[in-house]
Amino acid sequence: MSNLNIDHIKNNTFDAIVIGSGISGGWAAKEFTGKGLKTLVLERGRDVKHIIDYPTTNKFPYEFEHRGEPVLSIKKENPIAARCYAFKEDSMHFFVKDKEHPYIQEKPFDWIRGYQVGGKSLLWARQTQRWSDFDFEGPMRDDFAVDWPIRYKDIAPWYSYVEKFAGISGNKDGLNELPDGEFLPAYPLNAVEDYFKKSMITKYGNRHVISARGAHISKGSQTFYDQGRAQCQNRRLCQRGCPFGGYFSSNASTLPWAQKTGKMTLKPFSVVESVIYDDKLGKATGVRVIDTNTKEVTEYYAKVIFVNAAAINTNLILLNSKSSRFPNGLGNDSEVLGKYVAFHNYSARISAEYDGLKQFTTDGRNPVGGGYIPRFRNLMKQETDFKRGYAAGFSAYRSTDNDTSGIGEELKTQLQSKKLGPWRVGSHMMGETIPKESNFVALDTQRKDDWGIPLLKISIDYDENDAKMKKDYIEQLTEMFTEAGFKNIRPNRASQAPGLDIHEMGGARMGNDARTSILNKWNQIHACKNVFVTDGACMTSTSTQNPSLSYMAFTARAVDYAVNAMKRGEL
Amino acid sequence: MERRIAIKQVLIFAGGMALLPSFLKAAGKASVQLNNLDVGIEQEKLLSQIAEIIIPKTTTPGATELGLHLFVLKMVDDCYDANARQKFMSGLKSFEGLDDAALKQMVSDTNYGKSSISEDAKAFYRIMKQQIINGYMNSKYVMTNLVKWELVPARYNGYFPVKA
Repeated sequence: MSNLNIDHIKNNTFDAIVIGSGISGGWAAKEFTGKGLKTLVLERGRDVKHIIDYPTTNKFPYEFEHRGEPVLSIKKENPIAARCYAFKEDSMHFFVKDKEHPYIQEKPFDWIRGYQVGGKSLLWARQTQRWSDFDFEGPMRDDFAVDWPIRYKDIAPWYSYVEKFAGISGNKDGLNELPDGEFLPAYPLNAVEDYFKKSMITKYGNRHVISARGAHISKGSQTFYDQGRAQCQNRRLCQRGCPFGGYFSSNASTLPWAQKTGKMTLKPFSVVESVIYDDKLGKATGVRVIDTNTKEVTEYYAKVIFVNAAAINTNLILLNSKSSRFPNGLGNDSEVLGKYVAFHNYSARISAEYDGLKQFTTDGRNPVGGGYIPRFRNLMKQETDFKRGYAAGFSAYRSTDNDTSGIGEELKTQLQSKKLGPWRVGSHMMGETIPKESNFVALDTQRKDDWGIPLLKISIDYDENDAKMKKDYIEQLTEMFTEAGFKNIRPNRASQAPGLDIHEMGGARMGNDARTSILNKWNQIHACKNVFVTDGACMTSTSTQNPSLSYMAFTARAVDYAVNAMKRGEL
Repeated sequence: MERRIAIKQVLIFAGGMALLPSFLKAAGKASVQLNNLDVGIEQEKLLSQIAEIIIPKTTTPGATELGLHLFVLKMVDDCYDANARQKFMSGLKSFEGLDDAALKQMVSDTNYGKSSISEDAKAFYRIMKQQIINGYMNSKYVMTNLVKWELVPARYNGYFPVKA
């Protein structure tokens, strides 16, 4: 019996455990295995093998029974998932179905999840911008949250490191607020995006419209061929999974890379119930895993544990990791775990038309969508009655005349020879929200999921600052559109619940002070040094950039630190 | 062997939509599997006639050949709520019992919004025309022959010159 036990422990012991296989977990897997560590990667969902498990990837629109539209019964059963723009007939198999994984909304929160190997890295919008010190110094300058324990110089080399491998397209725009990176060629702005860029610089001087920077291989090279990835083919069918590996996903890039080392063990259908903390040793020894099919409980052990379950589920795991040392959740001496959750305010859009430049249209497709307007509000100094600011997407396309008034031959002619109409332009806001104690996630004390894990209560809402910022976005963009000579300007203030931005962040924030934060400057739990969090849960503030690139950089940096610390015998 | 091919061809008609082979089909019922709508063979025939008036066969295929009336049924059955389905079915009645010329006139009058047309007929026609166009533009024939859709464009030009 004792021999069996010893064997069991030996078989279930790894150098490192990574919880989650999404964008940050995939990076942890690649970095650990690349440094020779025997690594267990745990994924609660099913396996999704690159290409093999992309069932819709090469389908034409007419091969979908409802031409892309999810049927009504599916929409009704999944009101949350169905609100996501990417939830369509070609991609809905990559979304968590509402009923299968319930949670409690104390306030409306659309929690969009992808429980499978690769997680949401299959579905993301692939926008990648670096943070700058305007972002890292934000909380200190504007007096909210806590000071970030790092600055741009700490993370800059790691941005470079991950960008070279992931493949990021962009221009070197020379903006202090949006540092340049290791870029592949940018996807160019089209005629009207370019026109808007020039007209904004002339009018304002400090409002920039740049080519969106995205995780697409705009130019193939050996770095990517070695990963089995080819140049992006401008399909813009990314949500199906890309057979070319043209955009970055864990499935196409980091996970197969880790697999090739022979050091990775990937276990799908393995939900982590908790991290095991040993009071005597004063550190975590492993994780307790429930097989999602058989419900069998297994423990796995390792010297170091990375929690990359996606922001909110990482909070859930830590909150549920209770011990006599940590009765309120792992590393939660400060009692801030689960609190100060923030997100991006995507609740306003604006559209218009432009009558000029009719000698041009576009041909082919731009995989990164068009332009990006970095934050200009309250950038150098406070200039409004709200804190922080917003970035914005900006794109233009040439419309076609949609006259379908006829019938018979006339209608056929109308449909086959659509005339070009005016250019249409559109923008959406991506506002920074202020992390607050009152925006939190917590374990429900009664209800549990099918695996006996407490359900999560989510209590997150917009505030007055968000409302003021939204109003300013509409005003400023209306002015900018007017200035550019756009017509039929139509603001769309229709709100959406937090969560649908899919940029939820925080809950296990980084900070210098263990009394007010969970993680230190290395993404290491202050009070449990062999557990690291490098997904969205670690974020002290949100800034306005799309966050995934920062998670990649944090992860690579933290693995490097963890492995060195292990060599020094510190973990 | 040939029978198998024939069944296969029937099954993939109109792009992925499963048609019921006759031996599985209840007598007098529509040729597509429907979960919500109760459509008889006569109504299916009428839908096919209306569809053909909207998108007729010319030098290129028309609605019937492309199975668009069945696509409309599939869409209404699966993607519309009970209220819209009810309006669709009751509006269809307004088109019943007309000879070819009268039907053509009725479709034309509805299309151009003649004041004599009932709200029911208009409600039916809005859905019918929208989905006929949807099915037509997203049909294999149109997407590969008339208004081509590319799976792999492999290019992007933001300053593509418009031919004068």
